[in-house]
Amino acid sequence: MVADSSRSDAGTAAEPADDRLLEVENLQTVFHTERETIRAVDGISFGIAEGETLGLVGESGSGKSVTARSIMGLVDSPGELLPDSSIRFDGRELTGLSETQYESVRGGGVAMVFQDPLSTLNPVYTVGNQIEEALSLHRGLSGLEATEKAIELLEDVGIPDAARRVSEYPHEFSGGMRQRAVIAMALACDPDLLICDEPTTALDVTIQAQILELLADLQEEHGLSILFITHDMGVIAEVCDRVAVMYAGEVVEQAPVVELFENPRHPYTRGLLRSIPSTQRGADRLETIEGEVPTPNAPATDCRFAPRCPEAFDACREVHPEPVPVATETADADADHTAACLLYPEDETREQAVDRHAIEDAPPGAGAVDSGGESR
Amino acid sequence: MSVVDDEDATLRERLADEPVPALRVLAVVAVLVAVEFGALANLVMSLPWDAVGAALPGFLQGAAATIAGVGDGLAGLPTLLSRSVIDNAGYQLPSGEWVGTFMGLSPAAAWLLRVALIYAYGFVWLLVGWWSYLVYRDNYRHADWAPVDDMVGRFRNHSWGLFGLAIIFAFVVLAVFAPALGPTTVDANIADPYLHSIEYYSEETGGVEEIYVGDANGESQSRGQGGENVGPMQYDQYDRFHPFGTLPSGKDLFTFMAAGARVSLFIGVASLVLAGGAAVVFALATAYYKGLVDLGIVIASDSIQALPQLLVIMLASFVLSGTWLANLYNGGVVLALLFGLTGWPGLWRAVRGPALQVSEREWIDAAKSFGQRPSVTMRKHMLPYVVGYLLIYASLTLGGVIIGVAGLSFLGLGINAPTPEWGRAVSAGQPYVATPSWHISLLPGILIVIVVTGFNALGDGIRDAIDPQSDVETGQQDQTAAAGGGA
Ligand code: SF4
Repeated sequence: MVADSSRSDAGTAAEPADDRLLEVENLQTVFHTERETIRAVDGISFGIAEGETLGLVGESGSGKSVTARSIMGLVDSPGELLPDSSIRFDGRELTGLSETQYESVRGGGVAMVFQDPLSTLNPVYTVGNQIEEALSLHRGLSGLEATEKAIELLEDVGIPDAARRVSEYPHEFSGGMRQRAVIAMALACDPDLLICDEPTTALDVTIQAQILELLADLQEEHGLSILFITHDMGVIAEVCDRVAVMYAGEVVEQAPVVELFENPRHPYTRGLLRSIPSTQRGADRLETIEGEVPTPNAPATDCRFAPRCPEAFDACREVHPEPVPVATETADADADHTAACLLYPEDETREQAVDRHAIEDAPPGAGAVDSGGESR
Repeated sequence: MSVVDDEDATLRERLADEPVPALRVLAVVAVLVAVEFGALANLVMSLPWDAVGAALPGFLQGAAATIAGVGDGLAGLPTLLSRSVIDNAGYQLPSGEWVGTFMGLSPAAAWLLRVALIYAYGFVWLLVGWWSYLVYRDNYRHADWAPVDDMVGRFRNHSWGLFGLAIIFAFVVLAVFAPALGPTTVDANIADPYLHSIEYYSEETGGVEEIYVGDANGESQSRGQGGENVGPMQYDQYDRFHPFGTLPSGKDLFTFMAAGARVSLFIGVASLVLAGGAAVVFALATAYYKGLVDLGIVIASDSIQALPQLLVIMLASFVLSGTWLANLYNGGVVLALLFGLTGWPGLWRAVRGPALQVSEREWIDAAKSFGQRPSVTMRKHMLPYVVGYLLIYASLTLGGVIIGVAGLSFLGLGINAPTPEWGRAVSAGQPYVATPSWHISLLPGILIVIVVTGFNALGDGIRDAIDPQSDVETGQQDQTAAAGGGA
């Protein structure tokens, strides 16, 4: 572990990049407005192996959805990916692809399930029609064949009486049924990676559980990889293999799910975990993290969580923490657990640790550290 | 749905399964077409085919001529509602007996009968349209319910919109059946009055005499003060009936108006097809691509809108006058082009907002996210939301175009002189507004106002019908968008 800690590229520490289906490296998505440049996603790295579910968790405004849209190539102007960003899918670099080239990735490679199933389905077409649209694009099916396949898919996602419901309109479906239909639509494309952007947030709790179960089943059946975006730690616990915690455009902690829940290292992760109802048994009221996620509009020169961090100290306002391996002795040695906090590595003195972060931060963004203050 | 067991059948299969209702509709339509087949062919032949023919390459022109011959032949077929069946032209003997009119009725009665029958015929078409929608909905449509059902339901309860529909219906029937509705024809009465003659009973000679229409017109002028006046619903001295009176030249105003309605409708619809098509394509493109595409079109439309539309059209039609373009459909084509080319920015502005709005909807992202092509996404997922707005604004703008065309011909521009156009009637009657010949300006003026109001009302009705939030009772008060855009 100590040897491992010498790697500067700590965000993707354990596995070699090529093994994984999706490899996001130093992704920076910015939005240019008249007054400032908003760094919605600011240099995040993560990867998803085949058949794996990665949870991307964080409060709203932390950049989760922008991450998803960046992978899908759906960042519209005034947004753009900065040149250093890299998204490799199945060995193919996606950044810089033209719109037409991207069309071959979307759907068949990566499909997406959006948050609100009602607005994902176009209300003027029947559910079947919309699934058939995807089928004709990705499987070349049309007419009766497509309808049959659509019914089959609806059955797959657990919609009863699929043969009848295929010709119904979205408003005739309940919320949970709609989300099932949306998932069926995504499956129609036969993707390798499914991005679920808060797929259960708009649903009530029992339905939510059913949808999560369905996703797990489908993953097994189709060997899907899933990027699961949510703000709900409870959901993360149920579906994910690994978790990346996002805050203000950065991944602040990344770990396998059990490790993360047993051993949260980053103060923000701890705050999130304390705000889950089930971990609070006996407590009178839930703890919350005071304050809001800041909007990053310049390269970070400090810890963006510092204003809200209960453990912040002076250096937190001057040094930008980098992800460092933080696996404890109890965990697997190769547990690939990183956190971006000046408190770590724990086995070093605070000054040493801060220096390490300061040095690691310097090379990639040397200019940024100096000019950051002025450019603001 | 009657075909419960076969949900996946295509429309054709559903039709084959249960052909009876469809055949019933078809039978009624066939009867309706049959009684008016000649007039339909005539209407087809009255379109500016010369323009098409001239544009065709040589070897096709022969074929076109053949088709034109067949068309003319068909146009000559007798029809139930034509002038020759229910004739209102004739003369009265001193005994009071009418000769030459339909069953010896007075020309006024014969004319009214024909008008009533024609409008009834038009109304039957309207009902058949509604009926076939119902038959389709109840028997053949895949889904039990579609969003359009609610729109239709809301429109049916929208009295202001229905009022607009009624007026537009009346206007369209007037335009479509113009040749049969007028007490006389444009050819005989307006264009070539000296090639046609009429019979009348002369008291001087005590017998039936023949006279050129042109000469008769000269005796039936409406010139106010001088005592010469043939007002609305009056006969002139040659026993010709004039529902709207006569023009200062003695020509029949109603015939003039009916033919003018055709011209106005043609220009309005043609220019809107042009402007609306451009507006929709641009709106979809700007909403989908945003950024530079949007900016480019904003600049183009701003440049066009910065020009005073009517002034530009006046200049352009003056510049173009004398070219072959200006002679198509007596100048109607060039006006339609000009109104279309200068009118799209207004429509585009109106539909750009809604297009941008849908482009933000998640199903657009969803479509993109499964790799749908931009053109399909635009057509399938954005267009349906924009079309409604386009209809609204097109309806509002159509009124504006009609005013614009009338305004131009009031000034003596636009439609070439002998061809009837409403504005020219207003202009011709202008010196006589305060005289007994007030009808020359006033009736066309009132008609213009009514038709434009009707288009606005229809637009309001469509808008409230499309908007699920609109409350029919309060929806009528919100008329902010009711300003005609054309002029
Ligand atoms: S770096 Fe400082 S402020 Fe940021 S999380 Fe760690 S302790 Fe808190």
